[in-house]
Amino acid sequence: MGLGKKARKFLTTKLNLPVLPTAGPISLWIVLFVFAPIGVIVYFSFLTTGPSGDIVPGFSLKNYAFLLLGGSGYGEAILRSLFYALVTNIVCLCIGYPTAYWIVRYGGRFKSLFLFLVIAPSWSCYVVRIYALKQLVGSPGVLNNFLLNLGLISTPFNILYTPTAVVVGLIYIWLPFMLLPIYASLEGIDPALLEASLDLGATPGWQFLTVTLPLSKGGIFGGTILTFIPALGDWLVPLLIGGNKVWMAGNLIEHYFVVRGNLPIGSSMAVVLTATVVLLIYLCIKLGGEEAVERIM
Amino acid sequence: MKSSRSGTILLSLVVVGYVFLWTPIIVLGLFSFNSSTFGVKWESLTSRWYVELFQETAIIDSVLTSLVIACVTTVVATAIGTIAGYGLYKHKFAGRRVLRMSILLPITVPYVIMAGALLVYFSSIAHVPLGYPSIIIAHISFSAPLAVFVTLGRMQRIDWSLEEASIDLGADRITTWRKVTIPLLLPAIFASAVLIFPWSFNDFTITYFVAGVGTTTLPLYLYSMLQYSLKPVLINAISLIFIITPTIGILLLSYLQREKQRVR
Repeated sequence: MGLGKKARKFLTTKLNLPVLPTAGPISLWIVLFVFAPIGVIVYFSFLTTGPSGDIVPGFSLKNYAFLLLGGSGYGEAILRSLFYALVTNIVCLCIGYPTAYWIVRYGGRFKSLFLFLVIAPSWSCYVVRIYALKQLVGSPGVLNNFLLNLGLISTPFNILYTPTAVVVGLIYIWLPFMLLPIYASLEGIDPALLEASLDLGATPGWQFLTVTLPLSKGGIFGGTILTFIPALGDWLVPLLIGGNKVWMAGNLIEHYFVVRGNLPIGSSMAVVLTATVVLLIYLCIKLGGEEAVERIM
Repeated sequence: MKSSRSGTILLSLVVVGYVFLWTPIIVLGLFSFNSSTFGVKWESLTSRWYVELFQETAIIDSVLTSLVIACVTTVVATAIGTIAGYGLYKHKFAGRRVLRMSILLPITVPYVIMAGALLVYFSSIAHVPLGYPSIIIAHISFSAPLAVFVTLGRMQRIDWSLEEASIDLGADRITTWRKVTIPLLLPAIFASAVLIFPWSFNDFTITYFVAGVGTTTLPLYLYSMLQYSLKPVLINAISLIFIITPTIGILLLSYLQREKQRVR
């Protein structure tokens, strides 16, 4: 028996490609093109620029002091981004959870079709989706025209270039990413548990609160990682829909990196945002358990 | 009584979700056939913009650029990612958990951060020329993880005893790989490629940061059209192409999945 097991183990280990050629290339890639760049911006965040924009070597906390003292409005932008991302996340949860629940419960034969209808928009280009929304709700815009023609409104409404429009845009872009992990975790609930709770006298509402909701916790926090964090770092939605009037953290990062080419200040901003993100991911994993991580893969 | 009311609330939220997701896209598609140049008032039906689209050399060039980048990215990222997924599934090794979390990193950190970091790295440290090389490297870093997770998801459903059977029947390791393992992995490879290709083709943020001057992909071109409000209606026509292409991809994927289930 023991010998057979040993032989089998030998065979399977021999059969597999060894670890190095399989996990090696991606490890190398990640070290070179993910960890190294992150390390580099941490390093750059302690450098400063000279009068002509050239980078001065040496260690300095000037950039962080600049951000802390409210230079360029970064602190405000981070708080604003956190607030927008929170609202986005809550609304996405309020629409995404019921939709996922409905698909799992009543989708039947058409489950994959309904799921497809959620995923498909998220597969098209990000710029296109923002433009589509802008064309619809803008002024002049298709919706405005339509309502004016029907006589439902007498003057065109204008939400473009307001914080509301930015949040609507963020919800529109990130909604599908909230739904998918929740769908996966609801789909994974053993129907026997639901039956058992009904047999034990739970009303449907009580059953939802005590069985379904706790069991889909991983999906909710997985969805939060996929919605809150990208919304927090978004910059194109505030740029195109907020019309450069409502700046989020991402806009300042883009501005300093690309427009101004001030790499040290851009780097320190990116480091601050990364720290915020890491803290948030940690919280989500703490609250949602390992499942939160599994549901986002 | 109570449960029927909650049912109504549930259904209305679902309807709100779908209407919200689809109305902008449907309107965008419809208005690409609108003869008005500024596109908010319906005038009459035309396919003129699609004809014009194919006459703009700048658009054709940017499509070609995007295609080249997406093809290279898909091949390399799928290869690296699939093989890593295989390794992660088959081996228990020290650092496996760390590797899994590290692979997750580029997808969970906001794009603007990773894109900025790559820009600094490419331009100041690694001296990778900004253009095709930087865009392709950046795209692979973000899309190889997708292939890893697609592969990991699929590996669990594969019957690996076939590999053992092949060895038992006297095949050597290379033959087993060629004749058994790769065919078993084929659906995972295909699914990864179908996911990565549109991702790379559509990516805006990362490309925007690392593209430098002169390498214009279609999303970058679209963005510049938006910024300078050049012929908004042409944007509608391009957009419809952007929406239809990945849709075909997903349909193809789900069709293949169904096919596979039927075989089983």
